[in-house]
Amino acid sequence: MKNSLAFEFSLARRFLEENKLQTLLIVLGIAIGVAVMVFLTALIDGLQADLIQKTVGKAPHIVVTSAEAGSQEAVKSVDGHKVLMIDTTQKDQRPIGEYHTLVNAIWADQRIRAVLPVVDGSGLIRRGQVTRGVLLRGFDLDQADRIYDISNSVIEGNRKPINNSVLIGKDLAVDLGVSAGDPILLELPGQDPLALMVDGIFDLGVSAINQRWLVMDQRQAAALLGIGDQVTSLELQVQDVFLSEQIARAWSSKLPNYQLESWQETNAQLLTALKSQSSSSYTIQFFVLLAVILGVASVLAINAVQKSKQIGILKAMGIRTNSVARAFMIQGVVLGLMGSISGFGLGIFLTKIFILLAGQQLTLLLKPLSVVVILGSTMLSATLSAYLPARRVSQLNPIEVIRNG
Amino acid sequence: MDNVLLKTINTTKEFGQEIKSPVLFGINLEIQAGEFVSMIGSSGSGKSTLLNILGALDRPTTGEVIIDGTNLGHLSDDQLAYFRNRTIGFIFQSHFLLPQFTVLENVLIPYLIYAGKAPTEIKARALDLLDRVGLIHRKDNRANAISGGEQQRVAIARSLINHPRIILADEPTGNLDSKNTQKVFEMLKSINRDYQTTFIMVTHDHALAASCDRLLKLKDGLIIEDLDLLKQPLPKEEDRCAPSILE
Ligand SMILES: Nc1ncnc2c1ncn2[C@@H]1O[C@H](COP(=O)(O)OP(=O)(O)OP(=O)(O)O)[C@@H](O)[C@H]1O
Ligand SMILES: [Mg+2]
Repeated sequence: MKNSLAFEFSLARRFLEENKLQTLLIVLGIAIGVAVMVFLTALIDGLQADLIQKTVGKAPHIVVTSAEAGSQEAVKSVDGHKVLMIDTTQKDQRPIGEYHTLVNAIWADQRIRAVLPVVDGSGLIRRGQVTRGVLLRGFDLDQADRIYDISNSVIEGNRKPINNSVLIGKDLAVDLGVSAGDPILLELPGQDPLALMVDGIFDLGVSAINQRWLVMDQRQAAALLGIGDQVTSLELQVQDVFLSEQIARAWSSKLPNYQLESWQETNAQLLTALKSQSSSSYTIQFFVLLAVILGVASVLAINAVQKSKQIGILKAMGIRTNSVARAFMIQGVVLGLMGSISGFGLGIFLTKIFILLAGQQLTLLLKPLSVVVILGSTMLSATLSAYLPARRVSQLNPIEVIRNG
Repeated sequence: MDNVLLKTINTTKEFGQEIKSPVLFGINLEIQAGEFVSMIGSSGSGKSTLLNILGALDRPTTGEVIIDGTNLGHLSDDQLAYFRNRTIGFIFQSHFLLPQFTVLENVLIPYLIYAGKAPTEIKARALDLLDRVGLIHRKDNRANAISGGEQQRVAIARSLINHPRIILADEPTGNLDSKNTQKVFEMLKSINRDYQTTFIMVTHDHALAASCDRLLKLKDGLIIEDLDLLKQPLPKEEDRCAPSILE
């Protein structure tokens, strides 16, 4: 003969209902804890997603260069951010010859959302007294838009440079004092100065780019640098930015003659900072869960003491030890369930209020996985913390209770 | 006539692990189905200890207890729990009702522990029993919202819900005034008569003990008197037997 789960449920329910205020308080306590976790997670995840989007949204996720080409520094020189700190000359870079095949091969990978062949070089621009070092960037503008969205970032002049004309960043334009339609002089190492027309001025929102980039058509750049139908690098964007390291590694093994660098490698410091931020939020979550555990455990322990007479008589009347334990575990589960559901609602409410008050600069992000982790860990904590009091009260000897009236 | 429901063989009990304190010394007892037995004895003589062992609430140190053909020593704790639920009814000095439940629900609890839900015929039985103890009008009250005497009567109804073969009552009238004592005792007697339920009742009330079918007297863990009052009733007042038997 089996114990009735239905009876265990009704016992749990009556016990919880008897101390309505106590039940309400502990549910409220769990709810506040869960709300804090939901809110913090949404805030931190939102900030991090924002930061990552800012870092890699308009930048290549993986850069492919020739493996034999020059030193590490030369390789790094093709990256959108770091390039400007290292002055390398074109000579250090070995161009990629058969890049069409390579592009086709990479395009076949479903995980890749953009492939951009790039011809890079460095040079100087003179206008009157002002001289500025620039990064010559040659690529197909339409394809480049998939990564940089340059067409929509042009703030003055034409969106597309025609022959012998270029696009420059807005900071460079200010430095040189040029506007769209003005001529500039480009000097490449070992060549005569070349007159070019500034066709448009863009603002990509990153000052390093706005200060140094000189954008022109790929073929024109290749011709200027004298590399024929070759490119210096391929820039890729992947569908899921967090997979780029893994994808880069997979392709590395397929392409022994090339070097692939993911944004994670170039932005290791940023990632470390994000990780330590996440771990501080885990610490907070840990302590919130600890509070939940202590709260539920103490309420159930008190409950168990208060109900020891009734448990004693139930045992005399034949309820089994496990049945009593389950009735108390159910109380823990129910407290956890009510607390985490209402806490989740409260947390969403808090975040909504916060967005309203903080204005739109803030994005809050609640990933389904985080929700599952928060609710799951709360439920688990509540259930586990019910275990000890449940076990203790279920071991109660009915004779003790009866003898002490 | 020989219809033994309960039998003990050399049952002993001692408490304590290091310092052993023996409480019961070789109890040999046979109780017939349908008997109404009272148990008396001075405080500390071992009445409750024996009753708990007979009720499968406690295990004897040595010896055997056989109820309704089942040797309790052969049962696991969970099996004992189920055995208690099916075979034995308890009435204690304190009623031990569950205040979270109504009067009717309390009567049903021994049934619900294993069944979960009570079908209509069981509910009807519970109402019958409540009617029998005169509390049908209180059925929907919270168990702690009725008087102490009424609560004890609910406990009696509760002890009967599963048709137990035997009811063990440890000073069931101990907390009641004389009027309620008489009322409760009459109820137990009528149940014994109507359902042939066997009763073992510990009491300090000599008049009650004298009105039972059989009287056991315990002293220092031994049964020192076992009187069949049906054959040999005690003289009601000022008798020569009573002072010695009833202290
Ligand atoms: N769990 C226990 N541990 C140790 N000693 C116990 C325990 N239970 C009972 N005793 C002892 O056993 C003896 C008999 O106790 P019991 O409760 O059976 O007496 P009783 O006859 O019911 O007395 P009363 O009339 O006062 O209820 C007492 O000396 C008591 O102290
Ligand atoms: Mg006693």
